[in-house]
Amino acid sequence: MATDLLTKRTTRSSVSRKRAPSRWQRMRRDGSAIALLFVLPYVLLFVIFRLGPALAGMLLSLVRYRITGTIQWQGVNNFQRLFTDSLFWNALQVTLTYTLIAVPLTVVVSLAMAQLCARSIRGIKVYRALYFLPVITSLITSGVIWQWIYSGNGPLNWLFSAIGVGPVSWLSSGAMVLPSLSLMSVWTRFGYDMLILLAGLLAIPKEYQEAALVDGASAWARFWHVTLPQLKPALFFVVVLELIQSFQVFDVIYVMTGGGPVRSSYSLVFFLYDQGFHYFDFGYASAAGVVLFVITLLVSLWQRRLFREDS
Amino acid sequence: MKRRRMLAHLPLALVAIATVFPFYVMVVLSVQEGKPLSLPGSLLPIHVNFQAYAQALAGSDVARWIGNTLAYSLISVVLVLVFASIAAYAFAKKRFFGSKAMFWTFIAMLMVPYHLTLIPQFLLISRMGLLDTLPGLIVPTLANAQALFLMRQFIIGIPDELIEAAKIDGAGELRVFFQIVLPQCKPILATLGVFVFLWHWNDFLWPLVATRSPNNYVLTLGLYSLQAKDVSLAVTMAAAVVTFIPILLVYLLLQRYFVQGVTMSGMK
Repeated sequence: MATDLLTKRTTRSSVSRKRAPSRWQRMRRDGSAIALLFVLPYVLLFVIFRLGPALAGMLLSLVRYRITGTIQWQGVNNFQRLFTDSLFWNALQVTLTYTLIAVPLTVVVSLAMAQLCARSIRGIKVYRALYFLPVITSLITSGVIWQWIYSGNGPLNWLFSAIGVGPVSWLSSGAMVLPSLSLMSVWTRFGYDMLILLAGLLAIPKEYQEAALVDGASAWARFWHVTLPQLKPALFFVVVLELIQSFQVFDVIYVMTGGGPVRSSYSLVFFLYDQGFHYFDFGYASAAGVVLFVITLLVSLWQRRLFREDS
Repeated sequence: MKRRRMLAHLPLALVAIATVFPFYVMVVLSVQEGKPLSLPGSLLPIHVNFQAYAQALAGSDVARWIGNTLAYSLISVVLVLVFASIAAYAFAKKRFFGSKAMFWTFIAMLMVPYHLTLIPQFLLISRMGLLDTLPGLIVPTLANAQALFLMRQFIIGIPDELIEAAKIDGAGELRVFFQIVLPQCKPILATLGVFVFLWHWNDFLWPLVATRSPNNYVLTLGLYSLQAKDVSLAVTMAAAVVTFIPILLVYLLLQRYFVQGVTMSGMK
């Protein structure tokens, strides 16, 4: 039986080899040659400038790469050095603290604003359009403006002194810098998240709310037991998006604080940039990049698992 | 009734004021070159002058940076859309060896943080001699996996009959793509185009790494360098306004595509 099958297969393949003139002609006939031609430019760009560098980044984390081009195998030395480097732990702690303040704040504000914007009142489109303005603004522009708003004699401290508080050193005190940056990130992000949540809210069938209303549920109960469960996928997407965004915070820190004061806003990506392009320690910087990758991966996997449990 | 309507507007209006205030600050400070800063006086300018704009556009490289940013953004938009749409058409409508594996590799790469690829990309373009050049800035940003994914999802929805009919009429593959598929893709091309433009216009980290000389800066980088230099607050703010206005115009003209793009990313 087995030999029978084997001979059959060999005969078939020899026949096809004889009949089919060439692989190329066959591909031309069924259109897959042209398909390969269509994807070729994209694939080349992707392999050279995305996939290749991503793999190279992981490899670099295992070597010592000097600016002169000499490469020295390091094994896991870079990671060992990383995990005993207080600067790295500081960066991780800064990033985590920033995330823990910025993400809940942004999500709560976005959710509240989505609720407010879901009502059909006159001029609601104008409000929605206005809230999106910070999203389209570059973080550098925003950073330049907010730096003045937060400055010692800026408008925020002027307002505070009018009610007898302050002055607050928003960006120049180690305790305040991360909350201040988080507050600004709410301003830059809520317009985007709000739109996603708004789309989710508007997709909830009206009957649910009406049924709950008939049952005499309070506004809070309706929100908690009807709206929120229905909104879960959108809400979840927003949380993951914000987690990843805030773990990669860089631009605003580079412009507004330069990682200071005394490294109290020295984030993980700032660490990577600093080690890479200031000290030209490419291997060590790449090790930090791998850590960032692992964290991102864990968040993504967590999201997938929760989604699977949902469905 | 009227009071209730007012009450509904109150929180929305307060948040709107808080949202717009920084933009107001930017504009107001930019038209007060040469005047001492004082609060609240500086926020209510009585005598307006545009010296800061004249200084920014004449004295420094701002005009050059505008040109660089326009080139970086517009060329990238066109090329990203061309490469992504042709490839997406093949992935959506044709079966060929390795298509699934290739496509999912692209999607998996979305999970790899951009920052991990930053150093190798930098080393790559320096080796190619493209550091501090426009091609070096543009080319590494062209393989956009998100654009490919969203284009493919869209093209899958185009009926096969449309394509088959054109083929029966004797249209070649390229003609089918340019005359049948691409016109159908207008909405998704507009949405993606707007977002790719936005990413490039506001991009900072890659230009920071890939350019060296102030001549080749884009606006975000230039704005940062101005702020680090000792120019007056008014000039910095004027440069900020100049950076913001083009993207504001794009937003005002194509607002619905922005909204579509955001909700599309939400649904995946």
